[in-house]
Amino acid sequence: MDKNEAIITYLLQCPAIQNSPLYFNFINAKDDNKQIVTQANDKIIDKPFIDGSIQKRFTFTIMDYKSIAYTAVVKELNNMSATLVYPNENLEDIIDVQGIIDWISEQEVLRNYPDFGEDCVIDDIKALSDNPSLNSVDTSTNPPLAKYSISIQINYVDYSQVLFN
Amino acid sequence: MALTDTKFNLATHQRAERKKLATVVEWQSSEGRFYVLQESEPADWSSKFTSYYTKDGDTYTAVTGSTAPTWAASTYYTRVERELLGRRTEDSSIEYNPDIETSTDILGINYADVNKTQPSQEFSPHLILGGSRLSEYLNDKRRRNAISEISNFTAYIITLFIGDTTNGYATERHSDCTITYDSLGGESNVDFPITVHYSNDITVGTIDEFKEGFTFTPETGNVG
Repeated sequence: MDKNEAIITYLLQCPAIQNSPLYFNFINAKDDNKQIVTQANDKIIDKPFIDGSIQKRFTFTIMDYKSIAYTAVVKELNNMSATLVYPNENLEDIIDVQGIIDWISEQEVLRNYPDFGEDCVIDDIKALSDNPSLNSVDTSTNPPLAKYSISIQINYVDYSQVLFN
Repeated sequence: MALTDTKFNLATHQRAERKKLATVVEWQSSEGRFYVLQESEPADWSSKFTSYYTKDGDTYTAVTGSTAPTWAASTYYTRVERELLGRRTEDSSIEYNPDIETSTDILGINYADVNKTQPSQEFSPHLILGGSRLSEYLNDKRRRNAISEISNFTAYIITLFIGDTTNGYATERHSDCTITYDSLGGESNVDFPITVHYSNDITVGTIDEFKEGFTFTPETGNVG
């Protein structure tokens, strides 16, 4: 199976993703749409072993688009104290995006990995940060959209070039 | 099968990939996946003859009876397990460790005599990996400190850059080798590095295929 197809199939198990439109590389960004963006995986980090197998890395990014609200998260009561205004759309959105990172972490514990085919054994999958990055805000759209990103890294061993088995 | 041409099967200036030098170790196991034809009478034949097998078609049957049958060459099989070494190992070489005695005559000419070689090969890292029967076997010896049980390995040094599919691939078989476990631990994954101490009890021959179930055929008239 193509690794990109394997990633898509895998991510559709994620509750934070499966109920939203998911796009591959190209997107007409709207609220709650998600996008998988491929990354060039540098072959210089490939680690060959003496049996002919090679340790490789597959990295991709998930973009998550969220409409934004210009609402303060705190309301000043007096000079000495403030209180959180809840619910706040911006805070709820980032918790939703965080759900993808948490799901990836859970899958690593469960050793539930994408299916890269019988020649590959996946060592681990992990998000490269503990929380999503806010990359940009597009104010030209209505409503304005925030773009969050999560980079995911998969380390695996490719046995396809092994001679002796 | 006989290997008549021991030239490299490489184009001029083509490098031999590391994966074309393979080390496979073999040990006797009642649960082994493979059977090896006994060429000579084993030392424990009279006492442990029931751990050997006869073959009828594709079926192997354990020898039975109250006393050992008369030994017959090329009749009985040993049940063995095998494993290719080097999974997740980036670099490993056979060190021949020659014991060299040098002298210089009165003309200033140097002479070097090799008394012996003591080849060994370290595999580090050698991670604990699921499905590694050798690691399971050695870890059982480690837990019981059964150091007397780690000197009964057969090691095959297989040179896939000599030979072909018709005539087989050049192989050296070392009998009664020792495999030592050197440490246990590591950082994020459990490492169990090992060293193969080759016996130099060598039989030169060929293997027929690139699989753990290969058949080793000694060369006729080879020097052990």
